[in-house]
Amino acid sequence: MAGLIVRRVFQLVLLLIGISFIVFMSMHIAPGDPASIIGGPTATQEDVEAIRENLGLNEPLLAQYFDYLKGIFAGDLGFSYQTKQAVSEAIIDRFPNTLNLAIASIIVAIVIGVTAGIVSALKHNTWFDGLSTIIALGGISIPNFWLGAILILIFAVNLQWFPVGGLTEPFWTVEGMKQLALPAITLGTGSAAMIARMSRSAMLEVIRADYVRTARAKGVREKSVIMMHCLRNAMIPVITVIGLNFGFLLGGTIITESVFAINGVGRLMIESIAARDFPMVQGSVLLVATLFVLVNLIVDIVYAFIDPRISYE
Amino acid sequence: MGKKWFASLLTVLFVLSLALVGCSSNSSSGGSAGKAEQELTYATTSKVVGLSPILTNDSVSSTVIEQIYETLFVRDNKGEIVPHLAESYENPDENTWVIKLKKDIKFHDGTPFNAESVKYTFDKLKDPKTAAPRASLLAPVSSIEVQDEHTVVLKTEKPYGPMLAALTHSNAAIVSPTADQKQDLMKDPVGTGPFTFSEKVNGDDIVLVKNKDYWQKPAKLEKLTFTVVPEVSTAISMLQTGKVQLIDGLAPELMPRLEKIKNVEIQKKEGTPVYYLAFNMEKEPMNDLKFRQAVSQAINREGYLKKLNGLGVYSNSFIGPEVFGHNESSDKGPKFNQAEAKKLVKDNGFDKKVIKILAANTSQYMNMAEVIQSQLKEAGINATIETIEWGTYLDVSKKGDFDITIAGWSNVTGDGSELLFPRLHSANIDATNLSRYKDAELDKLIDQSRSVVDQEQRKEILTKADEYVMTQLPVLPIYHGIASAAYDKSVKGFEMEPTGQWSLYGVYRE
Repeated sequence: MAGLIVRRVFQLVLLLIGISFIVFMSMHIAPGDPASIIGGPTATQEDVEAIRENLGLNEPLLAQYFDYLKGIFAGDLGFSYQTKQAVSEAIIDRFPNTLNLAIASIIVAIVIGVTAGIVSALKHNTWFDGLSTIIALGGISIPNFWLGAILILIFAVNLQWFPVGGLTEPFWTVEGMKQLALPAITLGTGSAAMIARMSRSAMLEVIRADYVRTARAKGVREKSVIMMHCLRNAMIPVITVIGLNFGFLLGGTIITESVFAINGVGRLMIESIAARDFPMVQGSVLLVATLFVLVNLIVDIVYAFIDPRISYE
Repeated sequence: MGKKWFASLLTVLFVLSLALVGCSSNSSSGGSAGKAEQELTYATTSKVVGLSPILTNDSVSSTVIEQIYETLFVRDNKGEIVPHLAESYENPDENTWVIKLKKDIKFHDGTPFNAESVKYTFDKLKDPKTAAPRASLLAPVSSIEVQDEHTVVLKTEKPYGPMLAALTHSNAAIVSPTADQKQDLMKDPVGTGPFTFSEKVNGDDIVLVKNKDYWQKPAKLEKLTFTVVPEVSTAISMLQTGKVQLIDGLAPELMPRLEKIKNVEIQKKEGTPVYYLAFNMEKEPMNDLKFRQAVSQAINREGYLKKLNGLGVYSNSFIGPEVFGHNESSDKGPKFNQAEAKKLVKDNGFDKKVIKILAANTSQYMNMAEVIQSQLKEAGINATIETIEWGTYLDVSKKGDFDITIAGWSNVTGDGSELLFPRLHSANIDATNLSRYKDAELDKLIDQSRSVVDQEQRKEILTKADEYVMTQLPVLPIYHGIASAAYDKSVKGFEMEPTGQWSLYGVYRE
């Protein structure tokens, strides 16, 4: 296990250097000049030139990159071109919102998805199975911005059970939970549908396995058969899907964050790309990539716990 | 039994949700009911970049900056320039502006407002090391001198007509020198205005509180919050439920929904912005006056206003009705005449070339591009539309990589020179002069409008320049903007300026 972790951390460092290079170069090569955007349409050529000089954009590209890389290794992600705020500070400000939303959404997704998947598998080919398959298909197909807007209209504007948007209160307070509810449902629905489909097919496979029949033949109670013999073995592919979805949610979800006015990493990233705020884009992409790799590492470790046959030695 | 029960439940839920969605726009909340607290939350779609007037040049930042800082001069309700932090001014000669300042004014940190602070602010704005985005505002000023504690003298190399207009610009607001040396004004601003900075919360939201020691009567509102809501329809829902009380810069397509909400009031005011077509004068056939006339006559500009739900004004001039230099009686521009346009197109073979219309990918510009494309087609001109994202647009449009582009100018100083000089003077090709227009006669008129100090004379020159533009047509104004805002009915005393900016100084809730 220790070997796996060391190997993964080493891979992560290489991966981050690669990502930083690709992001840095693609941002600099892409059309659009941060100095013109800061200056706005009213700035004269002299104004824009002064800003460009001030930001150090007139230095050779590779020199800029190595400066940036040196900064990263010293733990300095640089400063925003636009707001002059430290990149790390801006990310730290927003990451808790994204994390709260990701956790809440994945909980919604797991509770709905795994339950629906298991029940569908157990009631294979009944009306419940059919209905949940249709709902799952709907869940995957419904665009987040539409679902978000509809939930706002029904539950925030008309019924006023939940606030329209914003994520300003801590999640352990009632107000905080209310603020999280609609965005978590919006975001969790898509993941729930995927998890439900995966749980259903994994369960169906396991349910017909010989060892399950043997367990039943031994007179093990049905509940134990399902929970101990089936579920545990069916969980490996489900956990993979949950891990992938969670990693994706941690990267910030631009549409849901925008619709619910949540100040998260996704919104930071899209705003920074629009403003060609290179240091901010690079910093947030590095964060997202790191988290994605770490979540996958955790998933691999969890495999070994769930299925002792899996070994990384 | 189970199946039936479940199916009925689903049906009820479905019908209920449809009914709720259907009546949503008509319902109103009790958000403004009860005893009104003197607090106001404003929602904007993009974040505040920073709170230093010297280092920012975006409209959202200036909205907040206007509440914290003040300028030497302001425009009053009639659009006239009047002293604000200044007491009076005089011109001993055309190159000298002696500005007397009001006494007994203090910055929020206790630093006295005086000639030194004005000199400090303007020197910093002009210093190339500062890299101020609007350093050009005071570029004609060659020196700033302190005559005594309350008198500052600005000298120019050449006479500079729009000086007072430039001094009304929020980027020329005066900052506290002690604070600027001690802290970062982008995060921790200190001005003389009616509200002081309190804190930044939740990453981007800015909280201001009343400045109790304001040099005039203190403001009525105790607390202001500027919050970011990227999705306009969410912002409207928040307005409807009373979570925010003010939004502005309304888009035409949102008007029907807003007008139906009972607790919301809408304010519209004729504004200074102009939205127009810029012809690339370095390319064929745009450099042919007949082509530009054909395009101008092909487009039904008065008809286009109907699409704007009351958020635009027609005026056959480039300098709009709310901008200094506009002359109501002048009407030399082209009129909608499709038959004439068709004839010009046919006679000159303009139907043989495909024209590229470049537009930034905002809904306002894309809608304009589509309507114009279809009207040009009726006249026989084939056009394609290229839409690109804003950051890329700024670059591409400055390089002149288009035939016709849809452009806008907000004109924060409200002065005609500040529209014609950046947009049509040959000195600004490759920068703000998107038409790449180079015309010695117009250059001369624009230079005069900037160098004459007598305001009446300036007005005449600007009118003449505007008429010249409307006959030569390097640009075709489609419409002039209307500043708009929607607010909760509990908000009283809200008054917008033609530039779209507003101060919350006189606002209260009841």
